[in-house]
Amino acid sequence: MRLEMAEFPVRQIRLGDANRYQDGVLDVDRDDLTRLVLRDARIQSARFEIATPGDPVRVTGIRDAVEPRAKFGAEGQVFPGVLGPVTPVGGGVTHRLSRMTVLATAAYEGTIRAGTGVQRSALLDMAGDGAAASRFSALSHLVLIVEIKKGLAELEAHGAIQKAEFEVARKLAESTRGLAPARVEIFESHLARRGVPRVALVQGCLTDAQQAHSGVSYYGLPIRESLTTAIDANELLDGAVTVNTTRCVAYSPTSWDWQNHPLALALHRAQAAGRLSFGGVMLERIAFDNFHGKEVVAHNTAQLAVQLGVDAALVTWIGSGNAFVEVMLTIRALEQCGVKTTLVTYEYGGKDGIDSPLLYYVPEANAAVSSGSRDRWIELLEAEKIVGPYEAIKVLTYPGAPLTSARGRFTLDARDMIVGGVDNWGGDSWACELF
Amino acid sequence: MALISAMYPVAEQVGASRIVKAVAIPHPCGDPSLPAELDGQLRREIVSTALKALETKVDTTTVFTPKVGADG
Repeated sequence: MRLEMAEFPVRQIRLGDANRYQDGVLDVDRDDLTRLVLRDARIQSARFEIATPGDPVRVTGIRDAVEPRAKFGAEGQVFPGVLGPVTPVGGGVTHRLSRMTVLATAAYEGTIRAGTGVQRSALLDMAGDGAAASRFSALSHLVLIVEIKKGLAELEAHGAIQKAEFEVARKLAESTRGLAPARVEIFESHLARRGVPRVALVQGCLTDAQQAHSGVSYYGLPIRESLTTAIDANELLDGAVTVNTTRCVAYSPTSWDWQNHPLALALHRAQAAGRLSFGGVMLERIAFDNFHGKEVVAHNTAQLAVQLGVDAALVTWIGSGNAFVEVMLTIRALEQCGVKTTLVTYEYGGKDGIDSPLLYYVPEANAAVSSGSRDRWIELLEAEKIVGPYEAIKVLTYPGAPLTSARGRFTLDARDMIVGGVDNWGGDSWACELF
Repeated sequence: MALISAMYPVAEQVGASRIVKAVAIPHPCGDPSLPAELDGQLRREIVSTALKALETKVDTTTVFTPKVGADG
């Protein structure tokens, strides 16, 4: 696959009377976008606000973030299986509005009260310490605030939020039709270079097989208890992998993160520079509920890597808890097959950083890159303005937890509730100090 | 002390003394997919393995395996 990605950086979003991109300024026609969203009968009301880096604003009720992208020319589409049919993506010409997101927010109580299927929403501070905790505070956001029909079950609510979010994103990106991009980058997913190592990305995905939406979808289909699947790395760029928009928890990346997967992009760019051959992406379902399942999927990934002729792999994951056992078993299985590995993972460590950083480890995991801790506590200061559906939020997530003013000052025990508060894939900049 | 755990390698890593292999994380001491009678036998076997483990003197981390399925 050969994808031409045309970049249109957004330094300012303005409310205007048309959807228009010019010299880094994106004008959005709120009435037009509201009409687009309200075509779905599951959406009761919709409004839009803007959040810009440095604004004294806290966004509440966040369900997902997505980068506006659209397809031009005869070939392809974006968000296959969600907005369009299941036909291959990852080739042709894609336009992207970079440095911004459509930030989907919604008030949603859900029908599930506890457990891995319960709805969750996240926060984003655009200024102060809270902003420093998230990569998303550096981007401009068109905040979509939807109210969905009462009584919708989780999968229907997800469908309504996601469709609204993606349709707005596509429509905005379509406003770049005929314009000259600031930059064009070429992504070649089958460029076999000789004399350099062939390196793949093993992407562990915690999915909740028993839930209506498992957490990660490929072409709109939630991944359940599958064995490992090889996908074309370019498919990520056109939005083939998406998430559950009723559950936004920082250790589960957003759609924006999947579109801008830092490890996939780094492998692409290293290939373009002639340093390696990108051997593709393997989606590995993790969080099997017994050790046998974990061993089998690790073995299966190693077998697939050997079939793909891979010399080395970056191994990373999303999720939390026992799913990390598969990650370590996968590293062992790959190394035993002669595939060199490097692990990229966040650490635990507890709120003060003195607990065990990883749940499980194997001696074969001899190269690891840490992307920081997800556990450290953080105090959020008062915000001048709330953008989003919730003026009051639950800082603790158990059923019946008390409500706190979203505007006020409060402490979070960990970063899970801040969208982008966990760096799953090492996309953020980190410094390290030795003590 | 005996620890019944589906993630027995994690229990080994943290140095639990007596570890009994369990069925799965959501249902360590049984298997709801089995007919009630077989599930009952399995549950008894896991608990009696744990009791035997408690009676056994150990010097180091030791894993006890209940007799289940084809092995039984």
